[in-house]
Amino acid sequence: MKRFSKYVLLAAALVTGIASCVKDLDTVPLDKDEITSISVYENPASYIQVLAKVYAGLAVSGQQGPHGNPDISGIDEGFSTYLRQYWCAQELPTDEAVIAWNDGTLRDYQEMDWTASGEFIAAMYNRLYYQISLCNEFIRESADAKLDARGITGTDKTDIQGYRAEARFMRALSYYHALDMFGNVPFVTEEDGVGAFFPEQISRADLFAYIETELLEIEPLLPAPRTNQYGRADQAAVWSLLAKLYLNAEVYTGTAKNTECVTYCQRVIDAGFSLAPKYENNFLADNNTSPEIIFPVNFDGTFTKTWGGMTFIIHAAVGGNMVPGQFGIDGGWGGTRVTPTFVKKFYPDIEGNTVPGPVVSPKFIPKKTTYPVIYVPGSHQGWDPSNTSTVLASVNSDGKYEGYLNFAEAGTQFKFCDGPSWDVNYGDDGADGTLDRNGANIVATDAGYYKINVDLNALTYTFMKTDWGVIGSATADGWNSDQNMTFDAATGLWSVLIELKAGEIKFRANDGWDLNYGDDGANGNLEQNGANIAVPDAGTYTVTLKLGIPDYTYTIVRASYDRRAMFHTDGQNLEIQNPFAFTDGFAVTKFKNITSTGENGSDMTFVDTDFGLFRLADIYLMYAEAVLRGGTGSMTLALNLVNEIRTRAYTDESGNIAQGDLTLDFILDERARELYWEGCRRTDLIRFGKFSGGEYLWEWKGAAEKGTATDSHFDLFPIPVSDIGANPNLQQNAGYN
Amino acid sequence: MNRDSFSILGKLFLPVLILLFLSQSVFAQQVVTGTVKDAQSGEALIGASVSLKSDPTKGTITDVDGKFSLSVAQGQTLIFSYVGYVTQEYAIGQQTNISVLLDPSTEALAGVVVIGYGTQKKKDATGSVTAVSSKDFNRGSIVSPQQLLIGKASGVQITTGGGAPGEGATIRIRGGASMSASNDPLIVVDGIPLDNQGISGMRNSLNSINPNDIESFTILKDASATAIYGSRASNGVIIITTKKGVAGSKLKITYDGKVSLFTVPNSIDVLNADEYRTYYNEVYANNPNALSVLGTANTDWQSQILKSAFGHDHNLAATGSVKNMPYRASIGYSNSDGILLTSNMERYTGAISLDPTFLNNHLKININAKGMRENNRFASRGAIGSAIAFDPTQPVYTDSDRYGGYFEWLQADPTRPISIANLNPLSQLLTRYDVAGVNRFLGNVQVDYKFHFLPELRANLNVATDLSNSLGTINVADSVRQNYDIDADGNLIGGIDAEYKQQKKNELIDFYLNYVKEFGQSKLDIMGGYSWQHFYRKGNYFETNAAKTITNSDTDYESESYLVSFFGRLNYSLMDRYLLTFTLRDDGSSRFARENRWGLFPSAAFAWKIKEESFLKDVDVVSDLKLRLGYGVTGQQNITSGDYPYLARYTYSESTAQYQFGDGFVTTLRPEGYDANLKWEETSTYNVGLDYGFLDNKITGSLEYYYRFTKDLINTIPVPAGTNLTNQILTNVGNMVNQGVEFSVLGRIFSTEDLYWEVGYNVTFENNRITKLTATDDPNYKGVFVGYISGGVGNTMQIHSVGYPQYSYYVYEQVYGSDGKPIEGLYVDRNGDGVISADDKYMYHSPAPTVFMGLSTRLTYKNWDFALAGRANLGNYMYNNIDSGNGVNAYMYNTANYSTNVVQDALYTRWINPKYWSDYYIQDASFFKLDNVTLGYQFKNLASKKLDLYLSLTVMNALTITPYKGLDPEVYGGLDNNIYPRPRVFMFGVRLDY
Repeated sequence: MKRFSKYVLLAAALVTGIASCVKDLDTVPLDKDEITSISVYENPASYIQVLAKVYAGLAVSGQQGPHGNPDISGIDEGFSTYLRQYWCAQELPTDEAVIAWNDGTLRDYQEMDWTASGEFIAAMYNRLYYQISLCNEFIRESADAKLDARGITGTDKTDIQGYRAEARFMRALSYYHALDMFGNVPFVTEEDGVGAFFPEQISRADLFAYIETELLEIEPLLPAPRTNQYGRADQAAVWSLLAKLYLNAEVYTGTAKNTECVTYCQRVIDAGFSLAPKYENNFLADNNTSPEIIFPVNFDGTFTKTWGGMTFIIHAAVGGNMVPGQFGIDGGWGGTRVTPTFVKKFYPDIEGNTVPGPVVSPKFIPKKTTYPVIYVPGSHQGWDPSNTSTVLASVNSDGKYEGYLNFAEAGTQFKFCDGPSWDVNYGDDGADGTLDRNGANIVATDAGYYKINVDLNALTYTFMKTDWGVIGSATADGWNSDQNMTFDAATGLWSVLIELKAGEIKFRANDGWDLNYGDDGANGNLEQNGANIAVPDAGTYTVTLKLGIPDYTYTIVRASYDRRAMFHTDGQNLEIQNPFAFTDGFAVTKFKNITSTGENGSDMTFVDTDFGLFRLADIYLMYAEAVLRGGTGSMTLALNLVNEIRTRAYTDESGNIAQGDLTLDFILDERARELYWEGCRRTDLIRFGKFSGGEYLWEWKGAAEKGTATDSHFDLFPIPVSDIGANPNLQQNAGYN
Repeated sequence: MNRDSFSILGKLFLPVLILLFLSQSVFAQQVVTGTVKDAQSGEALIGASVSLKSDPTKGTITDVDGKFSLSVAQGQTLIFSYVGYVTQEYAIGQQTNISVLLDPSTEALAGVVVIGYGTQKKKDATGSVTAVSSKDFNRGSIVSPQQLLIGKASGVQITTGGGAPGEGATIRIRGGASMSASNDPLIVVDGIPLDNQGISGMRNSLNSINPNDIESFTILKDASATAIYGSRASNGVIIITTKKGVAGSKLKITYDGKVSLFTVPNSIDVLNADEYRTYYNEVYANNPNALSVLGTANTDWQSQILKSAFGHDHNLAATGSVKNMPYRASIGYSNSDGILLTSNMERYTGAISLDPTFLNNHLKININAKGMRENNRFASRGAIGSAIAFDPTQPVYTDSDRYGGYFEWLQADPTRPISIANLNPLSQLLTRYDVAGVNRFLGNVQVDYKFHFLPELRANLNVATDLSNSLGTINVADSVRQNYDIDADGNLIGGIDAEYKQQKKNELIDFYLNYVKEFGQSKLDIMGGYSWQHFYRKGNYFETNAAKTITNSDTDYESESYLVSFFGRLNYSLMDRYLLTFTLRDDGSSRFARENRWGLFPSAAFAWKIKEESFLKDVDVVSDLKLRLGYGVTGQQNITSGDYPYLARYTYSESTAQYQFGDGFVTTLRPEGYDANLKWEETSTYNVGLDYGFLDNKITGSLEYYYRFTKDLINTIPVPAGTNLTNQILTNVGNMVNQGVEFSVLGRIFSTEDLYWEVGYNVTFENNRITKLTATDDPNYKGVFVGYISGGVGNTMQIHSVGYPQYSYYVYEQVYGSDGKPIEGLYVDRNGDGVISADDKYMYHSPAPTVFMGLSTRLTYKNWDFALAGRANLGNYMYNNIDSGNGVNAYMYNTANYSTNVVQDALYTRWINPKYWSDYYIQDASFFKLDNVTLGYQFKNLASKKLDLYLSLTVMNALTITPYKGLDPEVYGGLDNNIYPRPRVFMFGVRLDY
């Protein structure tokens, strides 16, 4: 009996001991950064954080910024972000961009010869479905029944129902991208759980219908335009996406829906957005203040860091001799440029490596950096002999000094000082034109702009009042008479706003040829009796003349030009012989990490600049296009909208077009000019039938330097081999097997 | 008291209870005394075992004079055994005093090997077990235990990670059975299975064991040997046994000291300054911008950062015995610099081992404690890449004190460096202070009790703990080039001030019962037990800029896992000729969901001692012959995706990955992908082995064939898009087959008193094929892309593909011109579709050798001894990333306005743009390496015969013969890029025995 009890005890100990061991196997995460799904959704405050991840899915690469703990794998984390992949897929295969990097199959994008094995296409696809899965998870977990089961009621519940509608919008957005890029894709909704199953493939037309239905359903559930927090979707975002969907409906389904497109564009137009006063403000570090951006993807140099997204778009565009600091960044990555074909949307006649742009005059090259000077103190400047802005210079260091001074008042008195003090000073006793040491003040009777010459060897001087004008074959009266310039005392410059023809000009004083300047060697440095100055193109120009202290120079700047042509051309070649050389192809200066007031962003590596996924100017152009394509709408409004955009671009109405100019071809080019590098181009070219095939060529399309025809199957990207392998329900898009 | 320690006490309580409950009295009998001596030398054998044949649990061991005393009944038989000697039986008649002479035996076959949860005579082993003892270890300047074993056992491949002091090594036993999951073998130190997660702040977590304290390695290769370790056994098991004291021995003190000179064996062939100027001027003849950056200096950047270095190592050990308690205590100190400037490792170790016995040998207690402190300074390996690529025409220093006085590439505005340009390699090393200190304690108490009422039954309890504590700091000043940053106002805001910490606490409780009984011709040995292990780690990484005004990173982690197991083994032998072994382990892991948590791992083995059969008994030429057949299933739970891959979890974003809503930023919550059905990986192994001995065991060895089939391979694969919260998931998919033939031979050519010469050789043929990879069988599915290279971003060079070995290279087939030179960008259109696209890539070789072998020899003549060890790998290919990344001229000038050097291969190919995927860069990396040559001399009986002095000279990494064009043909994984060069070492060693 005693022994028996021993064994009972032993057995009991065994059972207890083992049971306690086995129970240890039920573990929960210890890390405070990790919580279980159940505890997340029990807390009403967590929902907005999950929703924030849905939005952040477009921007960041993972849960650590700038990298670490990535969302998707199988590709370098910096490359893996949604926006970076979207940008590459929409821009690199088009005339708008080439990239100098030879990473993996990246070059296949610009050569339009990709296959289903390309890792960048796979990364885009994986991002889309990662985003869709995130949305599905949130939509599933925020269903009313689940909220009720968790006892979430009242405003918490109402708020979460709103979040849910936003998540549905975000899912529709990614499905729209899937529809546009991949066409026939796997279809999963919140009805499907998380786990091992094979989604069915949905046809492109059915997916179109699904997205349309979703958007129409959630439209009333979302806040009115411009009433949600910045960065979150509102009804205008829904309308914008509907408009895009309808504009491309014929591509997606075979049936055009232009009137629907017009309808939803009209709603956005009426929603209270307005064009930013300056085009470039949409692409700067404080573009969150732009009244034009309807739906942004947000970045921040401190709190939303990534190597993808805008960090990529801005850094990759800087290279060659561009100064990174001028873009608010610490260094360029030397990647992206534009093709010559694209440059010609702005400058149709550009040839060779001629630098186009607003400045027609040559770059000023000083002959020397410093010249010996004498000082001209007087009543015009408070009798200060050390004032270095009122001096005359000896260009040949021969004791002969000259320069221009503005005497604002009649009867201005002055003297000459050899050195910035009164120690050695000259006046003119008797006003006889010879200089006297410590002599009397010299007096200029009239107010005006004087040319002054002093010869300290001979102790003589002259001074003459001058008025300047532009003359030449480029001017309205040819070589017959001057076009007068006006002097601005604040800047010290003579200038005139003038219509010029292609031709030549010179500057001359006092309506005569005694004193005239031309430019020998076209180096920006003016010479007396110098060569005529060429004006290559007709246009409205601001011509300025800078005299004052030698050297004398001038600028001829186009007053009326398209300010959207934001290129860096110095050190770049227009033509692209080698796509992998950054200096082949013009660089683009559109996006910067600098605010509209010139301040740097909060960090020099990671940028503050947001990406405007939907922007009012896009809606304007979509309206015009949909009307041109036969949608029911106002042709007058269409023209006005386009001209509103162009007026902003030119800062005046000189670029406006007439009704007759408003054609579909014009729209396609205008979209390029207005929306380049904003992720629209591939879709646009496909809608116009100019993406694949041979009708429209650009450099390196089809891997040929001047471009070559490609097969039409490239209008859709292939479903990546990884998913074809993982999901037996999928059929590859035509042409990729 | 927290919950953890409470539950541990609870678990301890159980086996202690069992021990307390059971007791028995002892019988007294007549006393026999005697001595045991070596039959050849006549020296007394200390610690020889004397036991009753009828009751092996009764016995004693000889004392320091070889004497013993034991109660024996008349007519009983005593068994005398001693490691390394032939066991002898002695029938007791009237004598009360006997003298026994034991013959030294051939170690390999008579030795006792340590196996999982017990020991076994080597000759009774049914599984594939290789023991390597201290006398067979590699010699030289060795601070990492793994290096002792390199080349010593067939089927075992050890590749060091490079030449850093105390560098870790990758061990692969039979090629590994897994793909994504860890392929590292389970390492068991004195009965404690270690985790293989590594320790922060150490290059190699095994460094916490001083190689001088190691007595032997036992490598369990096939499933019948490893299955007792169940879910961690698929990749083999290495059991490390540390040195112990010997019962009854006198105090013996040994000092072992080494001084080493590490030299730079060779460097990568880059252009020197003159060659560079010539080539650069040729390439950029028409580019004035490019020509303007060329400098006038002549700098060999590699020799700036790689220098000869010194190291020294001291070990003092005392062994002896206090009455019934043998002990060993040792301390060690080691300090070596690396040949890459600034790298250093300093280590203090201490170990104590106590083995007291009580209750007339019924109760044995074994206590081991090992402590270690390691201080490391890590050198930035990026400096090696920078040194290869840095323009040799630029000087090391400038006159300016900006950026620490080092030459750096600057933007036109000199307040900013060119962010994408290489860093000055020397500055990269000298301006970064990256140090770590690690403390580790590894201790266990093993209690072995032989039941008084049932001496055939023995209970064994092992309680162990493994603690480590790491603290690392990284400091980079804000005024130097690396991590340089200034704000818009020109203030320095860069540099690094970082600190990381880690605490690990692993605990173990093992308990088992062992019953051994002979029935006539049969012998039964049954063992059953359970094991509980807890793995816990916690740490953080906090990084700010040097001024501590900007937080760059603030991450912390804490995680744990448990493993609970029940296991048993049955050994049955009939007529000492037919041996059967069955093992079974039931493992439960917290890393899987409740439904998949438990895995059952059985094995069975049969061995036939053919030599014992009558037809072979009298064939003298054959001295030993044994056939072994084994089959078993093992598992793999060492997955690489954390401790909760089955659980639906959410993760908060760090402060730098928030998202802006309105004017504020929201910390996001991300749902994690998971596979609720994740379970064990299972490997089935078939093994056939033949152990042989010829000519009185002058020639011994074994021949083995194995076939391993892994199913439910834990692998990271693409999920069907949209079905999970990730695009790739770790799941059970795919099958893989490994097979191989292993052969080893050891020949003792001379074995006389003055001259001893042995030669050992082993060779392994291995073959690996992936047989299934995805849930569906799609013929167009290429596989999983792996093997990220340096160059571009995210470029992979390897693939796991069905029908091919894992990590096969996936490249284009290069076309060569009539001059034999590769033509840039011209590849074979393998699919014949007229265009060269990604579909033209093909599988081309793999990094794994098809054959590898080890050769060693040891020659002793009088007081001289000479040893040599070498290895060869055949059929292994390497991707020469150094050449592919630095072998073209397009980027010699970067338009950001800086220049980079190229390798000599650039002059040969004259290629312009990188052609990473050309198979031109896949190069045969077969090699023969003479790892080590040692010459030693022993001065015996110095200082009135109290002292032995042994002096030795060793050259390590003496010679490499290879067709490979790169620096070193041995890079684990097959992607040669920035390897820390392995130094050639000249070492002088002193050993003093007192």
